[in-house]
Amino acid sequence: MTLKNVLAVALGIFAAIGGFVDIGDLVFDTQAGATFGFQLLWVVVVGVVGIIVYSEMCGRVSAVSERPVFDLVRERAGFGAGLSTLIASEFVNLMTCAAEVGGVALCLKLLSGLPYRLLIPLGVLGLVVTCWVLPFRWIERVFGYLGLGLLVFVVAAIKLHPDWGQVAHGFVPGSHSGGSLLVYLYFVVGILGTAMGPYEVYFYSSGVVEDHWSLKDLGLNKVTAIIGYALGGTLAIALIIVAAVLFLPSGISPQFLGTPALAAEHSVGQVGLLLALVGMLFAVGGAAIETSFAGAYSLAQFFGWKWGKKERPAAASRFTLSWLVIFALAFLVVMSGYDPVKLTEYSVIFSVVALPLTYLPILLVANDRAYMGESVNGKLANFLGGLYFAVIVAIAIAAIPLMLLTNGGQG
Amino acid sequence: MSKVTEVDIALSILDHQLVDSDGQNCGKGDDLEISGLDGDSPEVVAMLVGGNAWRSRGRLGRLAARLSGNAVHVPWTEVDSVTSVVTLKRPATELRLNRGDEHWASIVGKLPGS
Repeated sequence: MTLKNVLAVALGIFAAIGGFVDIGDLVFDTQAGATFGFQLLWVVVVGVVGIIVYSEMCGRVSAVSERPVFDLVRERAGFGAGLSTLIASEFVNLMTCAAEVGGVALCLKLLSGLPYRLLIPLGVLGLVVTCWVLPFRWIERVFGYLGLGLLVFVVAAIKLHPDWGQVAHGFVPGSHSGGSLLVYLYFVVGILGTAMGPYEVYFYSSGVVEDHWSLKDLGLNKVTAIIGYALGGTLAIALIIVAAVLFLPSGISPQFLGTPALAAEHSVGQVGLLLALVGMLFAVGGAAIETSFAGAYSLAQFFGWKWGKKERPAAASRFTLSWLVIFALAFLVVMSGYDPVKLTEYSVIFSVVALPLTYLPILLVANDRAYMGESVNGKLANFLGGLYFAVIVAIAIAAIPLMLLTNGGQG
Repeated sequence: MSKVTEVDIALSILDHQLVDSDGQNCGKGDDLEISGLDGDSPEVVAMLVGGNAWRSRGRLGRLAARLSGNAVHVPWTEVDSVTSVVTLKRPATELRLNRGDEHWASIVGKLPGS
């Protein structure tokens, strides 16, 4: 790979670090590990393959047709169903963005010791200024590569010397112990939901258009999706292992965002703590940017506005105002005192409900030869696409009942 | 359009992206004005973009239409080509499209570096 390609893969790394490993993973993966040990590791693999399949598909569709996902949602679903999807996804985007903004403030608090409520406005201001000043490519690179501090969790997972036989066993789905079946299923839905969140594909497909990818970049698209999300999956697996080794035996239920960082300190020391917090800050901050932009992309693409960081902010004024307003609303939600961890759980579960209407248009257009020409879906993409669509529909139906029945995983 | 092409108007125009002669996005084909529906050869006369063009698009569309202004009529003679997008022959401003961006630019334009 040339240096140019290493930098180009930044979109995938960013999408993976900010999109795959965000506050949803920090919350769900650590809780899953602390409750069920290694038994839910297989779900991460299922989620990673799913997001690779659909990201590759929507990256390919966007590179070939230059039409990002929400364009297609409107086109294929029509005005009414498209508008319903838009409203649902904006609601989820806002809730997720608020959770991530709260996470940024919490990370800043752990790094600086300053009061949380002071750090919320500072954090939002920092994110807005960054988005305003930096071009799209540099946002990708800065947040993508600094988010790699999270790799310390992989080191921590290895240094904790887990029983690797048990770990391997966790990659095989089967019977479970340590909690009720409903709670187990709730975590299955939660881990899949945070792995395959709809804002990731809204952002990724728009990023493909922002980065001017075309037919010749289809190879890069495939590599980016696979490397990026496999990396995200590795981090998610490491989080589960760390939580399983450290928290499960002592009965700790991690209710705070800082808990995984303490685990890194336990096994790697002060440097580990610092790396974990910086990695978390940039992963969660990157996800805050992705969600606010995903919201603005979706709005603009539904109504046909000019959009993108490539435009001057005033030339695409409705798009610019959209992401600014989403940050402002997220700020108000967090300032009103909602617990970011609780907010995360709700946002992940509700995003699962919005998944089918996001993924179906991608699958349909990827099969449309009039759009895709030679780059139309092959047999493997269609087999996996269809299989995962069935999975998505099943978890979309199960998500809210499971949340209510288990009282949000509390049993 | 200069030459006759067969186009499924529901699939290829309605809800598709409009792009002006400068390559800028300028709205969606929200509704179509069709004449001669009672005769043998119905014809698309114009595209309706934004505002109350949504009123024919279901319950949510009626609600959205009530909250917004008049639609812009783009005569079919202004359409250059229909591919995955509908390309127009002139810049958006000449067709009174994208006025929303002009409106809000008065606020966003005041920010430094915009």
